[in-house]
Amino acid sequence: MGGLKDSLRDAIRQLAFRTSLDRLRKQGVKQVNVLGLDRIIALIDAAVHTSLKSRLVGADREVVADATKAEFLRLLRSNEDLQREKSEIEKLRERTQEELDALRRELAQQQSALRVRLERDDPGAAARWQGEDAAIARKVAAVVQELAAAGEAPVAAAALEARLAELVMDVVVGERRAGESVRKQLADRDVAMMQQRIEKLSQALAVTEHKLQQVSSQRSLDAGISSIYREVQGLAADDTRAEAKKGIMAAILAENLRLQKRGTD
Amino acid sequence: MSDSKNLDAKTHGVLYIGMDLGTSRTSVSASNGVRETVFSVVGYPKDVVSQKLLKKDVLYGKEALDKRLSLRMYKPLEKGVLKYTGEAKDPEAKTNLKAAQDLIGEAIRLARPRADELVYCVIGAPAEASVRNREAILEAAKAHVDAVMLCSEPFSVAYGMDMLEDVLVVDIGAGTTDLCRMHGTMPEEADQVMFDVAGDAVDAELARRIEQSCPGAQFTVQMVKEIKERWGFVGDAPEKCLVDLPVDGKPTQFDLTDQVRAACSVLIDPICKGITKLIATFDPEFQARLKNRVLLAGGGSMVRGLDTAIEKAMRERLGGGKVVRIEEPIYGGANGALKIAHDMPAEYWEQLK
Repeated sequence: MGGLKDSLRDAIRQLAFRTSLDRLRKQGVKQVNVLGLDRIIALIDAAVHTSLKSRLVGADREVVADATKAEFLRLLRSNEDLQREKSEIEKLRERTQEELDALRRELAQQQSALRVRLERDDPGAAARWQGEDAAIARKVAAVVQELAAAGEAPVAAAALEARLAELVMDVVVGERRAGESVRKQLADRDVAMMQQRIEKLSQALAVTEHKLQQVSSQRSLDAGISSIYREVQGLAADDTRAEAKKGIMAAILAENLRLQKRGTD
Repeated sequence: MSDSKNLDAKTHGVLYIGMDLGTSRTSVSASNGVRETVFSVVGYPKDVVSQKLLKKDVLYGKEALDKRLSLRMYKPLEKGVLKYTGEAKDPEAKTNLKAAQDLIGEAIRLARPRADELVYCVIGAPAEASVRNREAILEAAKAHVDAVMLCSEPFSVAYGMDMLEDVLVVDIGAGTTDLCRMHGTMPEEADQVMFDVAGDAVDAELARRIEQSCPGAQFTVQMVKEIKERWGFVGDAPEKCLVDLPVDGKPTQFDLTDQVRAACSVLIDPICKGITKLIATFDPEFQARLKNRVLLAGGGSMVRGLDTAIEKAMRERLGGGKVVRIEEPIYGGANGALKIAHDMPAEYWEQLK
């Protein structure tokens, strides 16, 4: 009996809904009647026993009472099973949502890194070279000025400076091109890898979003409504047309078996 | 639902479902008290944009009709049977079959079965549906239930009302009208008559008459269907059918009383011919009893005055007769199928699992 009382208490708690006093006040409720859990349980218990007492005697009463309690506990257990299944779906949805958020964050990071990389590679080289060119020109000019100071003619010194600068620049430009080509190859590889990564992340994101959509729709499915039948019924023994109906059922079955057989052949 | 894990877990009860798979509507009645009906239309998003917007892979019934501009629409049944079942290699036929499967799945879902219950379903199919068509319906249903059976639609109506002897059932659907006489056993081919003058034929006739008599009025098949369902009658008009239809974008009122009466009247003659044929070929000793027990069922039977009009025509052709409209025309077939499912013995279901 203790088990039944606990189960009843749990069931009532589960079926009840919570509300606040403010909300009740808004609805115009000023007073409420309070009925304790123990009182409800006692009332149900008394109602069942009174009803059984008026209809059954002795051992029958006990058997029916026990069967009813067992059935009630079974229904509660089956509801618990469904609740568990529902919470598992909910967990799956949460996991998928987290996965989705992580993918979105990573995708955003990768896209931002790619943008930075592309911006850095492009205008940086020209500015850097301009600075280097100016430094080389200054050094060449200094060498020529030292030579001029040592007694060379100014015209020859100017021509020498120009020629020297030209030679140095040829070498430097060649080196730069080679270096730049290597750097560009490396950069291109990095960018291509980043783009591939972004593409994969986008695909994963789409798949996860679809999964989430499916899980969400699954979650919206309710637990269903129990059938009034625990077992397969069949024709009632006291049916006035039982014989005729048996023949009809057999004919329907035969026709359907024929159809199934055709389908599997 | 059919994997072994779930089957093992199905120990909490047996849900019986009776289904009336119709051209216009699909109705279900279940042993958990649920009764639902859905328009037999299925819509799939036209592209990724509409899919994202609708947030669904497939829509059904009224929801699909409301969003039809973003959907590829399928009406998987025509004249009471699945379309294209003969040429399953055709891509359109495949999609239509998938739409039928999805529709049956949705109808089962509407019955709100619990995951842990066995689901046994009886589907009412048109009396003269082809074997290939019946196979296709069975195939479509198997994916969603533990065991399924088919039975003749008008027969299930009679079984549901427990009228198995000397009764003539007239089931007026959208695609077909099925007539079936009952004589205490399973009806045979000679006991059944089917023709395609039914709800859709009334819609087509009404559309033709509106087009002729209401110049400039714009309307769709769906609008015509709604007019018929709201106003449909034969005989004396119970009220004037005043309907607003757009003319150049402006709602304009039309009196469609005569058009509605004339369109609905197309049902009377073929039904009377069918009744006459089934009565005239019945055992003469029981003919009088049969013609006094004519049951009108199906959505088409909701046309007001139809029972009286058929009785009047029967008086002229057969010297009399009594026609009774069943209480719930939309659910008559589904209720009967549910009763058959209930009465089917356990060992029969086991054989079909």
